[in-house]
Amino acid sequence: MKQNKLLMSTVAGIALAAITSPAIAGDVYGPYPITLKGYNGDKTDSVSYSGQIGRQLLHNSLKKAIGSGASLDVTMSYFNGADGELALLDPKSGDSFKVDVTDINTVSKTNLSGKAYKGSLPGWPGNMTGKEVLESMINMAAATEKGYDATHGYDYGQLVSKFTMGGVFYHQACDNYLDEKMNADNKPNDKPYKDGAYYTGKEHSWDEAFGYWGAAAHGATLSPKQNYDITKKKNMRDADANGDGVVNLKSEMNYAHAYYAAGFDKGGNTSYYNTITTAFINGRQVIADANGEKLTTPQRREVKRHARTICSNWEKVIAEAVFKYAGSVYSNIEAVKATMGGNMWRVNGSAEEAEHQAALRKYAKYWGELAGFSLSLHTSGVDLGEIGVKMDRLVGMGPVMPDGTQVNGMSNGAYTLANGESMDGFAVHMLKLQNLMVEEFGVEARNNDKISGISNLAEVLGSGNSAEND
Amino acid sequence: MIEWLDIIWSDLASQFFNPKKRLFLGYLLSASVIATVWLCLIKRHSIGSAIRTFFDRKVWFSRSSRHDLASFLINRVIFFWLRPVLLTQLAIATLIFELLHQQTVIPLGLFEGAGYWTAALSFTLVFFLFDDFTRFVVHFALHRIPALWDFHKFHHSAETLTPLTVTRTHPVEGLVFTARSALVQGVTIAGFVFLFGNQVDLLTIFGVNIFVVTFHGLGSNLRHSHIAIRYPQAVERLLMSPAQHQLHHSQSERHYDRNFGVTLSVWDRMFGSFHHSVSETLSFGIGKETARFTGSIWSMYWLPVRSLARRLARVCLANARPITRAIPSFRARNY
Repeated sequence: MKQNKLLMSTVAGIALAAITSPAIAGDVYGPYPITLKGYNGDKTDSVSYSGQIGRQLLHNSLKKAIGSGASLDVTMSYFNGADGELALLDPKSGDSFKVDVTDINTVSKTNLSGKAYKGSLPGWPGNMTGKEVLESMINMAAATEKGYDATHGYDYGQLVSKFTMGGVFYHQACDNYLDEKMNADNKPNDKPYKDGAYYTGKEHSWDEAFGYWGAAAHGATLSPKQNYDITKKKNMRDADANGDGVVNLKSEMNYAHAYYAAGFDKGGNTSYYNTITTAFINGRQVIADANGEKLTTPQRREVKRHARTICSNWEKVIAEAVFKYAGSVYSNIEAVKATMGGNMWRVNGSAEEAEHQAALRKYAKYWGELAGFSLSLHTSGVDLGEIGVKMDRLVGMGPVMPDGTQVNGMSNGAYTLANGESMDGFAVHMLKLQNLMVEEFGVEARNNDKISGISNLAEVLGSGNSAEND
Repeated sequence: MIEWLDIIWSDLASQFFNPKKRLFLGYLLSASVIATVWLCLIKRHSIGSAIRTFFDRKVWFSRSSRHDLASFLINRVIFFWLRPVLLTQLAIATLIFELLHQQTVIPLGLFEGAGYWTAALSFTLVFFLFDDFTRFVVHFALHRIPALWDFHKFHHSAETLTPLTVTRTHPVEGLVFTARSALVQGVTIAGFVFLFGNQVDLLTIFGVNIFVVTFHGLGSNLRHSHIAIRYPQAVERLLMSPAQHQLHHSQSERHYDRNFGVTLSVWDRMFGSFHHSVSETLSFGIGKETARFTGSIWSMYWLPVRSLARRLARVCLANARPITRAIPSFRARNY
């Protein structure tokens, strides 16, 4: 009888723990044991991606710095890194959301510039490399008020932020760590990643890619809304996985594309966040199970399969963002046009003019996000070919402005303009862009969908192909 | 090989199991019930006699019906190969939607605040009217343009009518029907989404256009049958009864070019081709041409093509003459 009671209370205890525990073993990224042969130190967890979290924090802070009108020295310090203390501008502690970092350099003394995409980007004026594009944008931003260039319709805060996420994080993960570093002879698993390291080549390569992805280590145990709210600093309870009363920015925060994935998944049509994060966890487990030996061919094949899952879904997350912001730009073209009804929008100081300028500001913001994401799609090492050309042409090198001008290049460090473009024509480009994302990338979340009305009706009416008389 | 056979088989099956199709088993069943009830209540048949009359072997197993079946099967294969090159309603709608953005007269989202039900009801009603009217226009053209009539003879050469006769269609006129349908859907969809936004919907029953379900559920398949259901004259002035469509198939000269309409008969009244149903027994076909035209299933497919080739040859030979003079008459019913 006593034994039965003990058994029942044990079972009930396990069940209760399973229900209440925020993190279920196997759904969390780490800890993973030290497997490196010959390691004699006191480390017990081989997971390490603080350099990547450092870059996530640099990215967040760089965006904040541009948006607040910081000087070029300050903004460049977040791009190139800096000695001494480098203040974390985002995310910062608030009343209901405490974070454990104030100085980025305490997480990792690193930079973004050294990891930026070095291929050329024909979609941006000046035919520059990804790194040069970011430098140019940051320089141009310094000459504007809080990163907004009203003449050309550029929001540099958004442009820099969205392209950094692609041109650094996505690029490094999918064109480097999950690509060539998963080859047999590159960063092998039976050797340390570098001299003195406590993790193997493959372990750390995989961890670095995970850090660039930007998911919280326990993110796969949470719902899309919970993950989304963590980045929005609305959900301290779910973020603080270890319950120490503070959000550990190395492992308990969602950043960059992981945050966007959670945002799309909230709609219920997709599960990008969990698909990618789970693939990271499963791939890491394969590497951990190799126990410090070289990966066998089947093990490497398995790891590469997970890498493909990660990068194909990651690409779709970015394509979803292109789709979403094409819809936003489309809507904002209408909003801008709506403020141009009378003549008062041309009169300085009038309420109509203020409304018009506010609409233009939003238009620039959404176009900046669109352009940053679309440029990012070029950086994974996969040549998009004709799709990439089409995408660049539809997005344009700048938004079409109400006076019919649009940036079409750069000469001697200054933008050149095309004239005679129409905002209506540009709106059509946005529709075509949404179609392109559906047809070529198979986006499914489809936020801000401007084309579904047509396809839904066509589907419900059924095919017109018929060999029927009446 | 197996793959395309599989697709054709799926297409065949969908003709009878998809409620969007006229030959859906549910509609065939409702037509059978309506015919039986009509024969019992109006024509005073016993149940047994009504069933025997409806399933008359002389109609269902006639040579004409066998041609219906053959053309139904052959057309499925032909359209399997044609389908990929046909312009879809989606492509047309997308193109028109984009073009609408280039004009400045009608503002985008003019009726966006109209609400779901207004948008859905307007779309469903306008689509139904536009679709029915354009079917009338195309049907009118098939009879009145000589080159098109050559192909439409394929349908009118039926000497007995069964629900399958609806598919007795030359592939060339099938292409015309497909183009009409795609164009009508494309224009309506694009126009409504432009004006009402993404809230536009189609009112449906079981996922099918409410008008389609009503039309087919109330016995549209009896249009091609030997059961001459007539409506009261006041109703026939609005809706096309099965007997009115059977009159359209009559080979009696006084019935030529009457009742082109599908669901509504108002179009025929507007264009002077309206005719009430009649109580007399009708004979169907294309007069003395019937025997030669239906000599074999292959002649039915081949003769219209040969006629067109000859017409084109005449046009080419009469190179200096304008095309309208090379074609002898715009009045086609040549039998």
